[in-house]
Amino acid sequence: MKRKELLIIGCLSILLFSACTNVDENVYDRYEANEFYGTPEGSDVALAAVYAQVAGNWDGVGYAGADNGWYDMTSMSADEQVIPHRNTGDWQLDFARLFKHEWLPTDLIINNTWNWLYRSIFNANLAVEQLTNANAEASKIAEAKVLRAFFYYLLIDSYGNVPFYTENSITVDQIPQASRTDVYNFIVTELTDNVDLLSPEKGGNYYGRFNKWAGYALLAKVYLNAEVYTGTPQWQACLEACQTVDEGGFSLHSGAASDSSPFGSQYYELFGDVLPDDETILAMYASVNIVSRNIYGVRTLFGAHGQALFGYSGWNGTIVPKQYFLQFDANDVRTRQFVFGAQPGGVTYTMEVASLDDPGAAPQAGIRGLKFYPAGIMDGGGASNDFPIYRYADFLLMKAECLVRLGNAGAAKPFIDQVRQRAGLNGLDGNPTITDIYNERGFELNWEGHRRQDMIRFGTFLNPNEFRGASQDFRKLFPIPTSALDANQGLQQNPGY
Amino acid sequence: MKENKQKSLYHILILQPTKIFIWLLIGFGLAQADSIFANGVNYTDELFQQIVVTGQIVDENGIPLLGANVIEKGTSNGVAADLDGNFSINVSSANSIIVISYIGYKDKEISANANVGIITLEPDASSLDEVVVIGYGTTKRKDVTGAVASISEDEMNQGAITSPLQLIGGKAAGVVINQTGSEPGSAPSVRIRGISSLIGGNDPLVVVDGIQGNMDLLNQIPPSEIATMDILKDASATAIYGSRGAAGVIIVSTKKSKAGSTTLQYVGSTSVDYIPKKLDMLDADQWWTQAQLSGVPASANHGANTDWYNLLTQTGVTQSHTLSFGGGTEKFNYRGSISAILQDGVVINSNNQKYIGRIVATQKALDDHLTLTYNLNSGIIENRGTVQSIGRASFTSNLITNAYLMRPTDPVFDIDGSYYNDPNVFQYLNPYAVAQTVVNEGQQDNLFGSLKADLDVYKGISVGWFGSWRKTNFTNGFFLPVESTSANAIDQNGFANITNNRQDEKLMNISLSYKEEFGDHNVNALALYEWQRQTYQGNYAQARGFINNIATYNALQLGDLSSVRPGDISSYKNDRTLVSFLGRVNYSYLNRYLLTVSFRSDASSVFGENNKWGYFPSASLGWQIDQEPFMADQEIFDQLKLRGGYGVTGNQQGLFPQNSLSLVGGSGVTYFGGQQITNFNVVQNANADLRWETKKQTNIGVDFAMLDNRLRGTIDVYTATTDNLLFDYTVPQPPFPFSTIKANVGSIRNQGLELSLAYDLIDRDDMLLTLAGNVSFLKNEVLNLSGSINGVPLNTNYVPWGPNAYLIEGQPIGTFNILHHTGKDDANSETVQDVNGDGTIDQGNQSPDRILQGSALPTYTYAFNPTFQYKNLDVSMLWRGSGGNKIYNGLKSSLSYLENVGRSNVLESAVELGISGSRYGSDLWLEDGSFLRLDNLTAGYTFDFQESKYLNSVRLSLTGNNLILITDYSGIDPELNFSGGNGFGGDNGIYPRTRSFVIGLDVKLK
Repeated sequence: MKRKELLIIGCLSILLFSACTNVDENVYDRYEANEFYGTPEGSDVALAAVYAQVAGNWDGVGYAGADNGWYDMTSMSADEQVIPHRNTGDWQLDFARLFKHEWLPTDLIINNTWNWLYRSIFNANLAVEQLTNANAEASKIAEAKVLRAFFYYLLIDSYGNVPFYTENSITVDQIPQASRTDVYNFIVTELTDNVDLLSPEKGGNYYGRFNKWAGYALLAKVYLNAEVYTGTPQWQACLEACQTVDEGGFSLHSGAASDSSPFGSQYYELFGDVLPDDETILAMYASVNIVSRNIYGVRTLFGAHGQALFGYSGWNGTIVPKQYFLQFDANDVRTRQFVFGAQPGGVTYTMEVASLDDPGAAPQAGIRGLKFYPAGIMDGGGASNDFPIYRYADFLLMKAECLVRLGNAGAAKPFIDQVRQRAGLNGLDGNPTITDIYNERGFELNWEGHRRQDMIRFGTFLNPNEFRGASQDFRKLFPIPTSALDANQGLQQNPGY
Repeated sequence: MKENKQKSLYHILILQPTKIFIWLLIGFGLAQADSIFANGVNYTDELFQQIVVTGQIVDENGIPLLGANVIEKGTSNGVAADLDGNFSINVSSANSIIVISYIGYKDKEISANANVGIITLEPDASSLDEVVVIGYGTTKRKDVTGAVASISEDEMNQGAITSPLQLIGGKAAGVVINQTGSEPGSAPSVRIRGISSLIGGNDPLVVVDGIQGNMDLLNQIPPSEIATMDILKDASATAIYGSRGAAGVIIVSTKKSKAGSTTLQYVGSTSVDYIPKKLDMLDADQWWTQAQLSGVPASANHGANTDWYNLLTQTGVTQSHTLSFGGGTEKFNYRGSISAILQDGVVINSNNQKYIGRIVATQKALDDHLTLTYNLNSGIIENRGTVQSIGRASFTSNLITNAYLMRPTDPVFDIDGSYYNDPNVFQYLNPYAVAQTVVNEGQQDNLFGSLKADLDVYKGISVGWFGSWRKTNFTNGFFLPVESTSANAIDQNGFANITNNRQDEKLMNISLSYKEEFGDHNVNALALYEWQRQTYQGNYAQARGFINNIATYNALQLGDLSSVRPGDISSYKNDRTLVSFLGRVNYSYLNRYLLTVSFRSDASSVFGENNKWGYFPSASLGWQIDQEPFMADQEIFDQLKLRGGYGVTGNQQGLFPQNSLSLVGGSGVTYFGGQQITNFNVVQNANADLRWETKKQTNIGVDFAMLDNRLRGTIDVYTATTDNLLFDYTVPQPPFPFSTIKANVGSIRNQGLELSLAYDLIDRDDMLLTLAGNVSFLKNEVLNLSGSINGVPLNTNYVPWGPNAYLIEGQPIGTFNILHHTGKDDANSETVQDVNGDGTIDQGNQSPDRILQGSALPTYTYAFNPTFQYKNLDVSMLWRGSGGNKIYNGLKSSLSYLENVGRSNVLESAVELGISGSRYGSDLWLEDGSFLRLDNLTAGYTFDFQESKYLNSVRLSLTGNNLILITDYSGIDPELNFSGGNGFGGDNGIYPRTRSFVIGLDVKLK
């Protein structure tokens, strides 16, 4: 063998293979973001992905249905429900801290909610951008913008002054912490510009989506709390928005007796697997085969009780404070959701709860709440009940509230009476007072994520209760979570924290 | 080395007595018939007469050494041994000394005798000429300029070895081999010189006969077929591996056959494994007493007396068997082996079987200019695993830990014969039911092969081609039925899934090397191009709702197909391409001054578009001081070498592909437009600037031998800084959709001192006692975690990195920043110190109420390894320890709160502690993690049968593993996960670590 030949072959092959320097990355199992969203399918999907944020997932992501997120933060800081630490060692203390107004900026629930809302806004920004680029129908672009306004509304409601941005491409130093009023003004402008572009279609394709009526319902909610957000009330504007919601043709769902409904009343169909479209304005769709939602039924019951009722062990979590329960009229259909005393499975719930944290409540202490009686496909992690974000009863009471606040209590009476009569009660003896409205909202809308907002608006949020003394004013806002402050040192913490 | 000694000792122990016996016979015979032996043994008369000396020369394995030199000392009179190693030489007198030598073996001097019998040569143990594998080549120990530890077969640990890493535990300074528990099939982890990366990968590169791979490659080699393991520690040594070298390199060379020999060998061992320690829990009576004190109702006492721990454990058995054979000529040699490692764990229903077949062959051609080396290795692993993580939502752990939690008064079975389940306890779990009903079966097939071609082209120039292809296929089937009592299984009416992961790794390189001596100058140069592609593929399917348990996971279609959920079906594929050019020059002058320079440039597909290429230079110098003329007259040092080097290495293996891109992936299902549709989501924060993590390391070392080579040692000091640290940095939300981004910002520094010493306390012909040991000190510090991305400042600090452990700038990784326990309040709830006195206990990561209390990372590790040989007997011992670290004993806290007593058992110590519950994780559970373990005690005896036609030698050995553990740690075992990854430093319950008694057998046939 001639060595020179070999040498030449060797050198040549090195040169040949030297050409193999291609290290571009191959992507086989995902889509490149830019290419994907550039397609028509991609832009539709971008909108659907924002709704996926509403329904959420575990780890505190989503509007309602699971734990450690917005719903727990807003509900347990009010007076309607709490998960006590049990003297058997079960349940962490975060929930008790919320109820006792002792929450900390480091609390997981507060952090989860912040991250959820901003990830949702990122998705909404993306949807707006993609839909605009794709020249999508105006109603879809409007829908993405209204969704974004919805998340900003939840943000200012909880946190006050918050970072504000509408384009994902910018960097954090270009995102100012906007005042609550500025963000409020943005929301109002964005909504008034876009709600009329939304589809008026109800149900079907639009079940669980912002149609025109849900858009006005959101606008009404924003106006309802305008005084809290900006110092300037907007009762008339709220009333008008509610009246536009009326044009959607909503009515109260029947409260008639029914053997097939939970607690023997059709009223509880409002919280079932698929929400009735007569009263429901905006639903959050949930199904166990997507992800377990509506943990509320299984979370409240003691293990053996849950096992006896639905075949799944309960988590022995949420209770309803006695003080809250005792405000109800005994004949009220709406008290049937509260469970105490002897129950199937050999369980006896006591009404009294001695302690929320140290040493904690006895295992079977506390009234349990089954408003969201498990429906549809179920497992030990939850059930398929959809969640009523907005329903007509709420807007009847909002109209009544605006009218009372505008000095027209007489006009308000029919609205509040409708709600009372559906629950098997008589109408009010006289014209409603502002307290009547507040109480009725508590009877009708408890466990639906409205209570904290109502308490702040009606000025009762800081009042002492059976588990704590009077609270301080700064508790009306949640703190900006510590991790957000650490990551963005341009942020200003809310006073008091 | 040990064996050689044994063989030479053989002469003294077996042959000498035999000879004495013969001489006695002779003496006896002389008395009878003087004339019979008068021929050649009359010393006084024939002292100065020429005599003929005959004998046979063999190597340490009893293989004849063809061509060994036999010389009469002080003369030019010499002969060479024949094919059978036999020789015959005329020497001037019976007083003559004959010197026997053979390349690679120690010279041996013997007195002339008519028949000197069999002379066994020992391999040259001076180690200076020992070949060290340094990556894409070899060099002699004396020419090494970097920090390289070499462990050869006879220095390796013995006993029940199931993973190659166990062979070298405690053997090399700065190389920490760590085994957490003794789960069958689990392999130890290894860290070389500490933790230098957070997510870039701390596992060293493994190179087996040129094939590069991750740690799992090591698990696919039969331990008994390993000849040497070389560990490249510092950057000047590892830089040649560039982007894969930052965490160190373990180079494994397997056994090869020698020309002119045949081997047939069986190596086997059987081990009986026990659990040496269990936690002291309350028994049934104690539990009930405590439960009543805590107000637990009588309904929680189910009246049984169950020893749950005992139910779930058993005596384990580990066996290993290897049959190897081979042979060769000058042109061709081969070696084949087949191995089985069979483990039955100490937890019921856990076992692992590993089978490996190998064949290695070398062929020369083209007038010996071309050498082809072919290597094929096929392995099968079958595993039945326990469930690693199960339990109630608030506390999950393995089954054995769940056994601790069980109330001793709970029965195993209900009255109806089903497994007992208490509906009054949230997510009750009967661990015995899980162990008996779960199906968790893994199968792994792996196959790899390589071909290497080396061609001598022209005057020291050679060209090489190397290609390897490795495929692994892992399948795991899992089924958990309702009967298991697991809430998860009950909810789903039983569920089953199949996971399949496949890896495909290809590597090809072409090299050009040049080796030449020019007078006093010695040059050895290498240029190499390398291409690698690793492809990862897999799929997963799950079903639930089975009407019976017959098919387990074998027929997912028998589940309830109407309840398919997002996540039940998935698959993936991604790959990584790495292209490298490298060059290295080794230069020495006068054999005293050594220089190694290398440069490697790598391009990897996993990085951002803007930063594909990385450049990794290194340089190191060596000075053989003992070779200097001025050292000629001194007698202190037999060897003295000073080394120094600097190098840059990269890191990318721990980074998964596709991290730099903005990608859209499936994210379950959402409801839109009146129907359920697939949901898509941006999966990560993109970073087009994602680039190489670079580790810069400086190493200075001294190798020395003193006192006539009886004291040998190596000292190394190093400092290594990892810059552009790959990590998930905290970014503000908004605008980022996720709270972290993979980026290169921070830096970590490791500084260390390593010392290895060996001293031959007794060094006689028939007896050798060597005291060897090593110690390494490590100082780790997170220098920086903040910086900026695109000009936007990042503020990453106090990143949770374990239970109450953090990454904190200026502290070692895994630093405990923890609340301080002060006692308990009136309600027996734990109290902690309010350090800043503001009236609230802040539990945030940066809380002023937290106190820094040490790190989870050991600061020193050491080993003491005395070996003793007396004739054919050998005894060795390995003591191994580490310290300077803390452990957060999370399991103890879970087993100590008395408020839990109604639903689970507690530790005996909990009664005295008297804490009902706590809202904190305090330093009450933080314990010193130091330990010293008698890891290995082995005694062996070798029987030689050189007269036998079939048998060469038989070695019997007894080994005890984990015989003594000295520690203050109150948990089961302080040797926990020291990997440095997120979550290390805590103890949430481990698979028990066993104490083993092993009997070993090694038979060499002719």
